[in-house]
Formats: sequence, structure tokens, C-alpha cells
Amino acid sequence: MSTARRRAPDADEAPPEGAAQPPQATEASPGAATKVAIAAEHVGKRFGHVEALRDASLRAERGQIVALFGDNGAGKSTFLRILQGIHQPDAGRLVVDDQPVSMTSVRDAQALGVDTVHQDLSLAPDLSVVDNMFVGHEVLRRGPLGRMGVLDRREMTERTEAALRELSINLPSLTVPISDLSGGQRQAVAVARAVMWSSTAVLMDEPTAALGARQSELVCDLMRTVAGRGLGVVVVSHDLPRILAIADRVVILFRGRTALDVPAADLTVPDVVATMVGYGQEESAA
Amino acid sequence: MSTQTQAPPDGASSSVDTRAVAVRPLWLRVLTTRAAAILALDVVLFVVFAVQSGGPFASEANIQSLLLSATEALLLAVGLAMLLGAGIFDLSLGANLVLSSVVGAKLMLAVADRTPDGGYRNLSTVVAIGVVGCLVTGMLFGLVNGLLVAYLKINALIATLGTLGIGTGLAYVISGGADVGGLPTEIQSDFGLLTFGAVPVPAVVAVVITAGVFVCVRYTRFGSRTLAIGSSPSAAERVGIRVPRHLLRLAVLAGLLAGIASFIDLSHFISTSLNGHSNDALNAVTAAVIGGTLLEGGKVSVLGAVWGTGLAVILQGGLVIAGVSSYYQLMAVGVVLILAVGVDRFSHLRRART
Repeated sequence: MSTARRRAPDADEAPPEGAAQPPQATEASPGAATKVAIAAEHVGKRFGHVEALRDASLRAERGQIVALFGDNGAGKSTFLRILQGIHQPDAGRLVVDDQPVSMTSVRDAQALGVDTVHQDLSLAPDLSVVDNMFVGHEVLRRGPLGRMGVLDRREMTERTEAALRELSINLPSLTVPISDLSGGQRQAVAVARAVMWSSTAVLMDEPTAALGARQSELVCDLMRTVAGRGLGVVVVSHDLPRILAIADRVVILFRGRTALDVPAADLTVPDVVATMVGYGQEESAA
Repeated sequence: MSTQTQAPPDGASSSVDTRAVAVRPLWLRVLTTRAAAILALDVVLFVVFAVQSGGPFASEANIQSLLLSATEALLLAVGLAMLLGAGIFDLSLGANLVLSSVVGAKLMLAVADRTPDGGYRNLSTVVAIGVVGCLVTGMLFGLVNGLLVAYLKINALIATLGTLGIGTGLAYVISGGADVGGLPTEIQSDFGLLTFGAVPVPAVVAVVITAGVFVCVRYTRFGSRTLAIGSSPSAAERVGIRVPRHLLRLAVLAGLLAGIASFIDLSHFISTSLNGHSNDALNAVTAAVIGGTLLEGGKVSVLGAVWGTGLAVILQGGLVIAGVSSYYQLMAVGVVLILAVGVDRFSHLRRART
């Protein structure tokens, strides 16, 4: 712990240039050492007079969980939206699956295998679990019925069962509407859906915000399982202790720039909070 | 259809608690739907009126007349149910019906090549032009609604209130304020009042179309996306559905159904009926909502719309035969509407919507 305290300020000295190049990248997943799932390098974004992001960098390798922390207004949401393809950066570049990319919509990001678990989950409450898993990616029957748009619910159900089983998620029924499920169950469905449609990275926005302690633990387990499948996971959260415990790297935004990008093992919650509120930043700026 | 996931034998790995949901058997779910309740009400009312009138109400002629009057209302109600499912509204369906019928009728007269005794030398062309005119006008009307609502993001209530006025006005301008008559009587004898067995052919058409919409809602990608949009527009957008394009298609579909209804209207009366449809849109809303379609979107009950339409028609016909002023029918339908929705609010079935 004492080493961690020393490390954090060290990293603070460096940020703008070196932030996006983590020196000890192999830590989390030796097997997929140099595979970048999703990365943003020196990204800037303005909205009119507001400079939401100045120099934000982040890099999630396959198999890694990267926590994105920051105080309100630090630019987390904007940063996440850029990774989702909703916003386009004014400066800097994006890398998905080791390739530089430019994304102009959510559909672009999805085509690159990047999917999101939104804070509000973005599930359709009236639709069944199966239909929610496949909405936007429906499977149609073969033959003439399929050309008329008839769904292959059997195949969709089987694939949903398989996807849920793979993440050890148990639901009582896949035909009930989402609104009949508990908060934790909904969260699990949203995660399973994102995992199902992402081949490179999963972005998670406050996945534990609406959950109790036990369900939060389950979602954290899910995140580990997802990373274990070789996907990069970027998680935005205010749940510092819990996320710190499972993350491989931590990226902290302060006023639109990456203030810290270090292995999670080197950090304690007080370190994170100090960086989030700008301790040390003011000094280096002064 | 049974799609329950069984927990793996090693229940220990259960990562999500399964206490929240008790899955009820299919028959119980079907029997407790609003559609089933309204169907039961329909049957009860039908029996009551049949017994009370001592026969005439249950006569073949009367049932045919009930079916005929339900036909157009059903087409509108089913189209509207789809729109409501996606969370949008349409007040202009009646105006669409009237305008489409006026355009169809005018086109038929325009291409008609009459013989001196009033017959038509080009009957099949006239009828074909009439059908196409009605359907295309209906779709164009729907297209305009769709563009206003989906792309210009004008509130559907406002947009269709506007097109309701525009469409009605346009129909009066084109027709000169008088009903367009003198259409070929064959459309009435060979379609409008033709029966298939004991069932009027237009009713058969409406039932087939309704069945198609039912299948569409339940089993197709189009239906699933419609409900996804109505259930949560932002979620639908985020999963990559092109929401405006889908809404536009829905509006055109509802317009097409109004267009079909307009030709049925023409073939029923061999004339337009400019003043006969001012309440059609609201009747369609009533039928759809009584049947269990949610005004907020996300849930469509096509069968419910069928039984809801039936309720209005049975009450109307029954009260007339019972010698009660048909004005009471309006009140009765209103009471049922409020009861049906109100009971639902208070029942435990009402789930907290997220």
C-alpha cells in the first residue's frame, strides 16, 4: 500500500504524452499481450465553448478490465460516447482491434464489435428476454418465411440460453417481459446482450449504480467472466472500491484529460479520490 | 413455444436470483388477457341482445350487417393498434379514409367510358383505377403523417390533428362539398355486398388483413421492432434500429389500411360518405385501447382490437334493435373504455414500468 501511495504522484508528473502507453501492458492477460481491444489516444472534444475533453487517453487490451474514473464533469460520459461512436472526437485517434478507426454512429461501433451496457440498460421493458437479446440483430427463418421477416424464435431462444449459460446467468424464463425481472436480472440480461454482440470490447456505464451489494458482486463476477473470454472491458463507475478490486488498469480523468493511467493493483481508493478531485493536478499546473 | 430455461443441475452457480418471476401456464395467460375479457363481454352482450330481441338480432341478415359495419372500423383499429404499439398516435385515419375514397371515386369517374344506358365499356379498368387510387392515396396520406412525425419530430397528436383538418378540407375541395356518386354498381354487387357463404366479402378481406397484422406483430422482425420502439425509443435507437424509417413504414402501413377501408366504403354505398367518418379515428383508438393495446406503446393486442371493434358494433346494433336510442351506445362504449383501462390500473397485473 505504501508503494501505491508513491506511485500515484509519479504517474501524475507524466500524463499528457505518456498516458496512453502503459509500460507494463502484459500484466492482465499474458496470452493476448499486445492485442488492443479498444483505445483512444489524446482525444479532444469541444461542444461550442465547452471543452469537454482535452487530452484523454485510454487503452483496454483483450482480457483486460479498464476502470474509467473521474469526478462529475471530468468528461467520462463524453469519453464513453466517443468510444461508442455517438460523438466524433475533434482531435486524437481511436483504435479498435489494433486498427485505427473512425466511427460515425453506434452502428459503426457495433460493426467493429464494440457494444455497450448503458446505465439505464436500454432494454425494452415490454419485450421478452429473448427478443431483447436480439432486438436490432434478429434471426430470421430460412426460406420464404424468413424473407417475409418471420423470426426464428427457436434459434434465438437457443442462442440466448447458450449466451446466458456461458455467463452463468440463470433466469426463470426467457419469455417473460423484461419488466417482470428484478434489477439484477435485468442488468445480467443487458450485460449478456452486449457480450453476445461484441467481438472486441464491451463498454459499461455505471453497471452497479442501481444494484444492491450482492447483485453488484454478481455483476463484477460477470465482468471478469467477460474479460476472461478475451474481450476488452471499459467500465465507467463511481463504485470505486468494488471496481478497483476487479480492474486491471485504472484511468482517471480530471478536467477532460487523463490524469492517471496505471495498473489497478498499485492504487488505493484514497489515491483514486485524490486524483479525481485534482490533488496534485493543481500543483503541476501551477 | 415452451422456452423456460432450466437452471443447471448445479444450482449453486446460480448468479441471479430467480424469485421475481413465477411463470404461469399459457392457457392461464391467454384467459386473463384483456382481449379474452372483451371477447367474453362481446359474447354475453350478443346473447343478451339475441334473447331480448327474440330472434331478429341473431338473424343472418343482422349479423351480416353487423359484420359489414365492423369491417372498416376494424381495418382502422388494427392500423392504429400498430401505431400505438410504436408509441405514436393518429387522429387522421377517418380523414384519410374520406380523402382516399373521394380521390378513388373521382378517378373512377374520370376514366369511365360510359355507354348511353349508363353501363361501362371499361369496367375492369375503372375498378382497378379506383382500387389503386384509394390505396395509393391512403399510403400517401400515411407517408405525410410519417414524415411529419418521424423526421420532423412533430408530436404525433399535433401532426395528425393538422393532417386531419387538411385531409378533410381537401376531400371537400375535390368533391365540391357533395358526395361523389354514380360509381359502377358492380363494385357493390360483386364486392361490397357480396357474401362468401354467409359472410360478407369485405369482412373476409378485413379478417385476412387482420390475421396478417397479427402474424406481423407476433412473429416478425417488423413487429418485434415496432414494440421495441414503443417500449423504449431510446433503447431501440441505441441497439441500432433506424427508428424514423421504421415509424415512416408504420405510418404508411396504417395509411394503406385506411385506403383499403376507403374502397370498401365506396363499394358499400356506391358513393363517398363525406360526413360519415368524423368519429372514425377516435372509435379506432377506443377499440384498440379497450382491447388491451397500450397508449404508451410497447404492447399491441390485435385480437383485442377485433373484439373491441365488435363491442362497439354489437352495442350499436343491439340497442337499435332493442328500441333504445343509439346515443346510448356512445355512452356504453365510453363506460366500457374507462372500466377496462381503470380496472387494469388497479389490478395487480399492472406492473411498474421502467
